[in-house]
Amino acid sequence: MIKKANTVQSGEKRIRMLIAGYPGIGKSTLALSAPKPLHIDIDFGIDRIEPRYRKDYIQPTSYEEILGDLTPENTADYDTLVFDTGGKLISLMSRWAIAQNPKYGQTDGSLSLKGYGVVGREFVRLMDYCFYELKKHIVFVFHATEEKDGDNTRLRIKVEGQTKNNVWEPMDLGGFVEMMGNDRTIGFSNCERYFAKGTRGIHGIYKIPALSPEKPNDFLTKLFAEYNKKSADEIAADEELKRKYDAAMATAREAIGAIVNAETANAAAATIANIDHALTSYTEVKDMWQEKTKSLGLIYDKATKSYKDPEAANGNV
Amino acid sequence: MATYKITHSLLTSWLYAMKENPFEDTTTESSAYDDFLRALRREPSEPNEAMQAGIDFENAITDYLAGKESCVPDNWLNAVSVIAEHIRGARLQVDLRKVISVNGFQILLHGKLDALRSGTIHDIKHSKTYDRGKYFNSTQHPMYFALCEAAEQFTYEVSNGSDVWTETYRRDETRSIVPIISEFLKYLQMSGMIETYRKYWIVA
Repeated sequence: MIKKANTVQSGEKRIRMLIAGYPGIGKSTLALSAPKPLHIDIDFGIDRIEPRYRKDYIQPTSYEEILGDLTPENTADYDTLVFDTGGKLISLMSRWAIAQNPKYGQTDGSLSLKGYGVVGREFVRLMDYCFYELKKHIVFVFHATEEKDGDNTRLRIKVEGQTKNNVWEPMDLGGFVEMMGNDRTIGFSNCERYFAKGTRGIHGIYKIPALSPEKPNDFLTKLFAEYNKKSADEIAADEELKRKYDAAMATAREAIGAIVNAETANAAAATIANIDHALTSYTEVKDMWQEKTKSLGLIYDKATKSYKDPEAANGNV
Repeated sequence: MATYKITHSLLTSWLYAMKENPFEDTTTESSAYDDFLRALRREPSEPNEAMQAGIDFENAITDYLAGKESCVPDNWLNAVSVIAEHIRGARLQVDLRKVISVNGFQILLHGKLDALRSGTIHDIKHSKTYDRGKYFNSTQHPMYFALCEAAEQFTYEVSNGSDVWTETYRRDETRSIVPIISEFLKYLQMSGMIETYRKYWIVA
């Protein structure tokens, strides 16, 4: 079924999110505030979560076990899959990869360069399976580690090798959990301290409300709803801009495409001047125009404010 | 009033020299500092291996977009096709200039956008190593946002030839290029190099 462009991403979109922070800051509890979560407790850390915030869980000891558990039937009652932690998942995947082919590992048990490639691709495949086939929200919990960069100390997710970059690619949101005074916060904007990921109007630092017996653990459930609301609003706002941009570019392409000499360039100039621009259409059209007039060798006469053919400009006509 | 050109490359060269030489001791010889002096004097230099790989990688993407897939080296094909799809339909190599005033100087900003489409600037990077956030302190996206006022986003399309990573910056989270240029001009004045800059970078 063909859908209109503005309806592609509207409605309740499933969200892929990464949460990073120091151990003990409450990442797992935060992750379990997502809608109807299944806790994939690879870290075996459920006992560190207050009993009232615990959710249904599995504690896999191998990657094969995860694949076996995450079937459509087994996950039918859940809206979110919480992988806790992503680093441990990568470790299980690494063992799985090396078992598939010893060339993916090194003598010390770590991954070879090829092995990192295989694990990176498997991570993306698992994400795609959970997102597109199981149709779940996905939350990955990662421990954060500090890295020195000149005078700055930066927070990074704790994963080995190239995988630390690859895991970010499919994410819709990625936030670092930190304490600011007495408040727990999650930051989605890039800053000197960390490089996060915010999209669809979810940017900046959000304060995570303190939990108490009276307050439900629902921060991510509300955040996902806000994401979808902002997403819908943004699409509506963008629709008009995009429509104007597409119209401007289409008009320009047609007018510039018809230019074959100075006469047609001068005729097209009037059309181009009347274009109602949006986004970067003005700069793009100007670039198209310059490319075309240059390719034809047309000369702009400032006095008459019009183009001349190269022969006419040289006095040959 | 004379106008002087500034490019993102010149600023990068300066910032790199300062980072390598944090005490700004101009008597200390360092490769980065020498490179900056060469850039300041606009001395032509042969591209090094990394620069050449970057040029070749960009050309491979252009070839792919032009339907010349057979010109793309096999080991780059996957990464090239991913980035090519990200920028398909964009204007390529958009040359932009803009005059601004900084510290009493009339400055011509100049840059060439790898790709521009629908409010987003794309810049292609070939890099052997990559860490997320690598370009946070780059002067490129602040400079290009200043050059293209209608652009809302800047995306670095980074690849080592096999993997592709994207790093996106929004205009509202990007620092202005003006204070950086201001610091650069102050440095040139304090270090006695302002005349060298005037000599080699005057455009009008």
